[in-house]
Amino acid sequence: MATRETPGLYGYLAEFREPWDLIDAAAKVRDAGYTRWDCHTPFPLHGLDGAMGIRGTRLPWLVLCGGLAGLTLALLMQWWMNAHDYPFLISGKPLFGLPAAVPVTFELTVLLSALTTFFGMWALNLLPQHHHPLFNSERFRRATSDRFFISIEARDPLFRGEGTREFLAGLGADAVEPVED
Amino acid sequence: MGILLTRDTIDNTAHDPARPQELITGGYDFTTLTDKVCGIVERRGAPRAWWVALGFMASLAAMMFGMIGYLIYKGIGIWGVNNPVGWGFAIVNFVFWVGIGHAGTLISAILYLLRQQWRTSINRFAEAMTIFAVVCAGIFPGIHVGRVWVVWWLFPLPNFQAMWPNFRSPLLWDVFAVGTYATVSLLFWYTGMVPDLATLRDRATTKVRRIAYGFFALGWRGSNRHWHRYEKAYLILAGLATPLVLSVHSVVSFDFATSQIPGWHTTIFPPYFVAGAIFSGFAMVMTCLIPAREWYGLKNIVTLYHLETMAKIILATGTMVGYAYATEFFIAWYGGNPAEQFAFVNRAFGPYAWAYWIMVSCNVVSPQLFWFKKIRTSPAALLVVCIFVNIGMWFERFVITVTSLSRDFLPAAWGYYRPTAIDILTFVGSFGLFFTLVLLFMRFLPMIAMAEVKTVMPQKHWEDKVSRPVGDYHGTNPGDR
Amino acid sequence: MSQHARRDVAVLDGDNLVLGGAARRIVAIGLAVGVVGLGSGFLLGRAAGDGMRHFLHAWLLNWLFFLSLSLGALWFVPLQHLTRSTWSAVVRRLAEIVSGTLPLMALLALPVLLNLGDIYVWADPTRVAGDPLLEHKAGWLNPGFFTLRIVFYFAVWILLATIFRRRSLRQDATGDPAITAGSERLGGPALILYGLTQTFAAFDLLMSLDAHWFSTMFGVYWFAGIVASFFAVMTLLTAGLQRSGRLVHAVTLEHYNDYGRAMFAFVFFWAYIAFSQYMLIWYANIPEETGWYLRRQQNGWSAVGYALILCHWLIPFAGLMSRFTKRRVRLMAFWAVWILVMHWVDLFWLIMPELSPGGIPLRLMDAALLVGMGGLYAATLALVAGPRLLVARRDPRLQASLNFENY
Repeated sequence: MATRETPGLYGYLAEFREPWDLIDAAAKVRDAGYTRWDCHTPFPLHGLDGAMGIRGTRLPWLVLCGGLAGLTLALLMQWWMNAHDYPFLISGKPLFGLPAAVPVTFELTVLLSALTTFFGMWALNLLPQHHHPLFNSERFRRATSDRFFISIEARDPLFRGEGTREFLAGLGADAVEPVED
Repeated sequence: MGILLTRDTIDNTAHDPARPQELITGGYDFTTLTDKVCGIVERRGAPRAWWVALGFMASLAAMMFGMIGYLIYKGIGIWGVNNPVGWGFAIVNFVFWVGIGHAGTLISAILYLLRQQWRTSINRFAEAMTIFAVVCAGIFPGIHVGRVWVVWWLFPLPNFQAMWPNFRSPLLWDVFAVGTYATVSLLFWYTGMVPDLATLRDRATTKVRRIAYGFFALGWRGSNRHWHRYEKAYLILAGLATPLVLSVHSVVSFDFATSQIPGWHTTIFPPYFVAGAIFSGFAMVMTCLIPAREWYGLKNIVTLYHLETMAKIILATGTMVGYAYATEFFIAWYGGNPAEQFAFVNRAFGPYAWAYWIMVSCNVVSPQLFWFKKIRTSPAALLVVCIFVNIGMWFERFVITVTSLSRDFLPAAWGYYRPTAIDILTFVGSFGLFFTLVLLFMRFLPMIAMAEVKTVMPQKHWEDKVSRPVGDYHGTNPGDR
Repeated sequence: MSQHARRDVAVLDGDNLVLGGAARRIVAIGLAVGVVGLGSGFLLGRAAGDGMRHFLHAWLLNWLFFLSLSLGALWFVPLQHLTRSTWSAVVRRLAEIVSGTLPLMALLALPVLLNLGDIYVWADPTRVAGDPLLEHKAGWLNPGFFTLRIVFYFAVWILLATIFRRRSLRQDATGDPAITAGSERLGGPALILYGLTQTFAAFDLLMSLDAHWFSTMFGVYWFAGIVASFFAVMTLLTAGLQRSGRLVHAVTLEHYNDYGRAMFAFVFFWAYIAFSQYMLIWYANIPEETGWYLRRQQNGWSAVGYALILCHWLIPFAGLMSRFTKRRVRLMAFWAVWILVMHWVDLFWLIMPELSPGGIPLRLMDAALLVGMGGLYAATLALVAGPRLLVARRDPRLQASLNFENY
């Protein structure tokens, strides 16, 4: 079904002036059953996740793994370097004593968790991306400033060319335009 | 100061508990806010005052690097450090700058978790300041090690002598704590800035700008599927940064408190250092922000309400610092250890009493002015008090470091520490580096977190306008499940 | 996902917001449990044949346990005003009620104050004589001045609790928003007084058990435990009231989520303070300080220490991390009980090694006193709540609190 009616068409872009109109419209796109579509807003709009039906992300689990790796690595490193590979006695402290190992362990746990969060988030978002068809739209430049957009891709099984265009216009969009691939 | 600052015409500090506080004044909407913040960066040619300031600050920074070059050439004998005061300006400056670097993460992480929406106007600026302060802080222990060229031995890297750093040393904990803090602060700052960089990219009129901002904007297109993960990541980073910010200055305090030196070894040090760090950091944010909002016309975005709230935090943390001073004194007497008692009497009445009383009057007495709303809402008065707090917090570190070392257990080993001109010029030069970075930041990057401010603008209160429920919900009662 | 429209304060009209007849029942049962518990504890104490020393230490332990909860409330109420907190507006009245138990706590201080010599080394003149440290401290640690201080702390606490509760109740009647503004102004000075009195109470009541030992952090240590267990009590109170059909519409999962966040944060804060205190003393290794920890690492006491690390920090920390847990009332109640138990163990670890360094002295009277004081505490809560509203019905922030969300 996922045939392209118009070659070279990425999809349709609908522009909204007000955030609450976008949320209402997004709920209708969700209910219409579209799957390959997205909203674009200059800031995170609360209530939109629900209206779009976005499910929770796996990111916290990745971070947990990163943190545990940092924890293990830090403990092993401190033990191996100070108590095993190059043991030396200083100020009567044990070669490997937990109280003295806690600060570095904590820091490395946080460091690896934070790095996982940062890189994990961009990776899951498939960013950085060199180019995206939406950037072909002059209108879309305001998506990062003061306008709110819905884009429905031509690859969506429910995509019907003019039909989709009319559907978007019927949602109260201020403007609907095709976007080239 | 009155010459530099004009009176605020809009006062939004009045508070009605039944209504949300008005955080952005002056009738801004998404369009005009974007124009305002981006306009500062997009303006062709910087104002002359900016060039003058940059020239001055950069030459101070150059002076510091000159001093460092001389230090590497001659060795730390050119400093005032002696026996017994082996830790002098370098450590004092390190702790001072690291402390200043705590406000940014506090504002961006802890206040985020506490849902303090007013943070959005100031967090970008404070985070930038954090990073620059940590840069300044990192220099001092680096040049204090003596043989600067082997400073990489601090890191657990394999080397030809097959030896490893000593992980039982608090000084090494510092390397990890400050290193982690710098990294995480940078990630946090950059993550927050990506949507705003995309705004600058999309507004760019020249190719150079589009490519430069576009490169760092990572192809951000405001996709809500992206925002979803982005917000989760931001929350996680805030959750990680919160204990991290506690840990960093705690670890710095361990440098002192793990020792047996009277006046250093006391268990209150970790939370006391953290409170002091937040205290000094907020004071520095105010010191930079009050002129910046004036000169760049940001008074409707960084409003009097923001300044007043920061003043309250300064008052609260200043009081905590006073609490720690008092506890230390009480326990010094209560503990019954003569060396400890002497250390505290010596602080207040010994050869460094002048430093001690500067510290007390700047840190404990001067913020008490913030009990008065008139002072809290006067930018000029705020600026003056905050500069005093900065001075006081530097002297706090000086008092802790120098008084304890100069007179410890053995009177025969007592000494007096006097900084040399090189010590002082290096320290002054670090301000040059700090403000150079701040000036560059103000010129080339968005000073206000636009995407975040837009979430708290009046226009955003769409809940009242939606006639029927949308996907999100307003509080579920447990019975509804 | 359930969907709700924005809720108006009017939703509370359909809610049961008072204890009503249950108050009398709780008072009656609580009093009965109290009398039986404390009475049997007393008899067990007499039977122990140690001159009531175990009884008095167990009394101190359980008394401080309940005092912690009341002090947590006393910290919470002014803080919410000072920070103009929105989320807590619907539950602040519960905290005000908890802080209303402080007069009972003052009353329960009597057995301690009347038998100082059996609990505190410094109150025993025979042990002070010849001990240079205790002689040095005698100006501070002597029965007269000590009693005076405790009376002073309680006077301050009861005064603060009464002021904030009275003001809030007055607003129920008048609906005057100026009362909120006034409480906000009082919040700052109240917290300063609270901080100082709570610190010195910790030094006096807990730290001076070993009068040789000192730690500047000690006040903060007790504070960390106080706050974690206070939020546990709030969770249990809220869940209990909702189970009994009260506050059903008022309190949402968002409020539980915030209790959970607070417990999570303060479990971690407790660990941070506990670790810092231990590590600094361990590292510097000065005998005048290490003795206190050494006593807690010998003769079986180290097991309690390890249990604290695991169960006061690691396990609840992991358990409360997820948002999933914080939005399930039963799970939250479980962790709340867990944290309360561990706060009791923490106090046990602070107090009991001074009585019995040779081994862990668990006796039946510990439980009897816990149950007895718990009964009295519940009775007092019901008495304080009385026929009055369980929600500050006309607080100007109520509407916002009913609707707030955790993003």
